[in-house]
Amino acid sequence: MFASKRLSKELSKLHDKLPPGISLICADDLKEWLMDIRVIDTNPLYQDEVYRLKFVFSQSYPIEAPEVVFVKDDEHPIPWHPHIYSNGIICLDLLDRQGWSPVHNVESVCVSLQSMLTSNTKKERPPGDENFVKYNKQRPRDISFVFHDNQV
Amino acid sequence: MKVTIKEWNAVAAWRWDMPDDDVCGICRNPYDSTCSKCKFPGDECPLLLGECNHSFHMHCIFSWLRQESSQEKCPMCRQPFKSKSQDAPALESQPRGQDTTATPV
Repeated sequence: MFASKRLSKELSKLHDKLPPGISLICADDLKEWLMDIRVIDTNPLYQDEVYRLKFVFSQSYPIEAPEVVFVKDDEHPIPWHPHIYSNGIICLDLLDRQGWSPVHNVESVCVSLQSMLTSNTKKERPPGDENFVKYNKQRPRDISFVFHDNQV
Repeated sequence: MKVTIKEWNAVAAWRWDMPDDDVCGICRNPYDSTCSKCKFPGDECPLLLGECNHSFHMHCIFSWLRQESSQEKCPMCRQPFKSKSQDAPALESQPRGQDTTATPV
């Protein structure tokens, strides 16, 4: 109930206007949305690529953070980043329970991820990526990430 | 000429004493409107001003502060959220944000 009103509000705003490099792909219901993001500047790591984000909202959104992951298909790779696992799971404090605030929204999350990519120079995966991708069964929201790196 | 008023209807409008176009950061509804759960604006769905000068619908900010992960911080500035109004009951004594009588700003 909380979520649907706020999400319909966000949706009509997104239909109206979006920041450059961010587009709304699918929001057929108020549970799961797809957004595309593109890095605007000339960062060679992300040239000519478009990344697809999946947002999953709980009934308590925005009191609870949405679950946000990159999804991979033929046209959309998972962006290189030392905080993005190759299965699309993102380690970002604002998406974590401790870092989320209900004043964030879909647009602000997209903008944060866009700028997280823009400022990155490392073509790297997080340490332990291979094992994490192989063995992790937890949903992104249940993983307790340790945020130790403020550099990227 | 003598005019006799047989009937008249008074109409009044009210609004919270807040900036015109501002919305509650949590539900994104205007302050003069209600939180996502209430139907009627006004005393039933008041605003709460924090010591940090950020305000929200009382029901919205209580939903947030009840979450353990909020650490009782303001969603805007992450300072500990304390009600600025002296008459407002202490947060700990709020039974789930219901039946409370915080003073509107």
